[in-house]
Amino acid sequence: MICAGIDAGSRATKVVLLESPAGRVVASGLVDQGLNPDAVAAALLRRVLAESELTRHAIRRIIATGYARSAVSSAHTTVTEITCQARAVCSLVPEARTVIDIGGQDSKVLHLDEAGEVRDFAMNDRCAAGSGRFLEVLAARFQVGLEALGELAARSHTPAPINSTCVVFAETEIIGLLAAGAEPSDIAAGVAASIATRIAALAAGRATPPVILTGGVALVPNMAAALSATLRQPIRVAPTPQFTGALGAALIAADQSR
Amino acid sequence: MTGRSIRQSASSQARRAAQKALAWFDEMIANCYQYATAAKEQGRPIVGIMCEYTPRELIMAAGGVPVCLCGGSAEMVPAAEKHLPANLCPLIKSTYGYLLEEANPFLEMADLVVADTTCDGKKKMFELMAQARPTYLLELPQKADDPDAKAHWLRELGKLRSHLSRQFGVRVTKQRLRSAIRAMNRERALRRELAALMKGKSPPLTGRELLGLKSSISCIPADLEQYQTAIKSLPARKAKADLASRVRVLLTGVPVVHGAERVVEIIEDRGGLIVCMENCTGLKPILEDVDESAADPMQALADKYFSLHCSVMTKNNRRLAALERLAAEYLPECIVELIWQACLTYDVESFFVRRLAEEQLAIPYLRIETDYSPSDSERIGVRVEALYETARARRRA
Repeated sequence: MICAGIDAGSRATKVVLLESPAGRVVASGLVDQGLNPDAVAAALLRRVLAESELTRHAIRRIIATGYARSAVSSAHTTVTEITCQARAVCSLVPEARTVIDIGGQDSKVLHLDEAGEVRDFAMNDRCAAGSGRFLEVLAARFQVGLEALGELAARSHTPAPINSTCVVFAETEIIGLLAAGAEPSDIAAGVAASIATRIAALAAGRATPPVILTGGVALVPNMAAALSATLRQPIRVAPTPQFTGALGAALIAADQSR
Repeated sequence: MTGRSIRQSASSQARRAAQKALAWFDEMIANCYQYATAAKEQGRPIVGIMCEYTPRELIMAAGGVPVCLCGGSAEMVPAAEKHLPANLCPLIKSTYGYLLEEANPFLEMADLVVADTTCDGKKKMFELMAQARPTYLLELPQKADDPDAKAHWLRELGKLRSHLSRQFGVRVTKQRLRSAIRAMNRERALRRELAALMKGKSPPLTGRELLGLKSSISCIPADLEQYQTAIKSLPARKAKADLASRVRVLLTGVPVVHGAERVVEIIEDRGGLIVCMENCTGLKPILEDVDESAADPMQALADKYFSLHCSVMTKNNRRLAALERLAAEYLPECIVELIWQACLTYDVESFFVRRLAEEQLAIPYLRIETDYSPSDSERIGVRVEALYETARARRRA
């Protein structure tokens, strides 16, 4: 029996197909989000099914998560990204107590109990400062990809201080730093540190170890290191961190069809 | 008619009465406007109030009609920001915006506005309002357990009593005070009974509906009648089938005034049921009555109103005690705390409420900080849904 999780996120849609009850990931796929999240999800699901030589009938149950979860018409039900992230991390790293998820538009910190259930969580409010959006703004300004941005940041020895707590104002601050002759690598490292500071505030000093990092931003080199320096503890990047939301949804779908 | 059909017709009659009572309060503003206009024509002064610490009884005993002026409209905020900082509580901005836009008929007809030094935002906004309206300020001391503080509050109420007497040319006698106290106690008791309908496993109404069952003007005789009708008829009303299965929510924090019900609606649209609202627009001001038999009604008023547990008080242990008691009565499965943007006192105090929820009550807690604009509704919705997923998981465990 196959169960599917669809994470219709703000910047990308992710699909994970799971074989149940074995819990083995059969296939996964990712595509940029578009104007019609339902069509994007449907096309991605078709693609992933075709790639793994499966038909739609093979799927017993589909759960959608992510900001556009309610738009995914093929889903049997929806579960929030908070519960999905917790479910996936609990399966990948059973001893995890804190999950930091940094997505394209929001970031969250989940505190898990011993059973892997969500004890408490915090999300950023009306502001994208602690999210992938901040990195995108910077990458666009430097005209480089996100990956290159991380490598750039890793070369810095003296990260530039970024004080603005708003992405829009931070961009102005970055323009000022560039004008003053600051090194791009120092600015990139400064932005990573600034995101880490916002996440630390979200965690409110309660990041019980082990701390697991998920979300697309986890793939940016140097991000885990910046977080680790700010939170003063080791941060483990989850395996396939972009897919943890979709994996959690697929696992919950499997739980429900049992 | 058989016994069964008599019972059936009685219950359908009760359901109709319940609908009528709910519909009556849908027209609350219009009803209040009609009442205030008629009162004014009879020469009764209209007195605007902005805080539950102001004893309505004093105003009523002076022949006045107390009207709540708290603003709930997002549309009034831009006007207010001409004079007030953007980073201020939306309730305060909206209230003041109504003044600048001349859009609140009750503020327009008010002969006097009484305010309290509860929070700094209200206090300083009131200075601006005082340029345009006759105003009176009560100084609320804030050391909750200090006898000197209460003695000062009693003197403050005495000064308001004299001011109202002079202003309106009425002697505020003990007898008139007692009669106003009895009327307010009666209204508080009725509203408590309505709120208690939410204690059951399958409440006959939503928290949003209960929130609508109140009035900007207290003790309007027609309102009291409708409260009674609602108490009698609501239990017979066929509750929406899913109410019993929803996650029971205790809502605490800032007041949810008329027009600002967005977060309450999100909480209930996403699968919750607000069984208890511990705030100034819910149970907080009606939990205790004023002692009708007290030798000195002024002392009785001071006792009742000084014991309100607003977050401006320090230490505000009474609020935590009330939350614990209410949780035992209403059996919530989670606590949602609403904080209007820049409401410092509730924001800081949320530390203790979270600790109470997690450590003493062992139920999940969610803090929502927002204002009157709907831009973050979806984000609030996600958090509320995640809270319910956690609460449901605990139900299973």
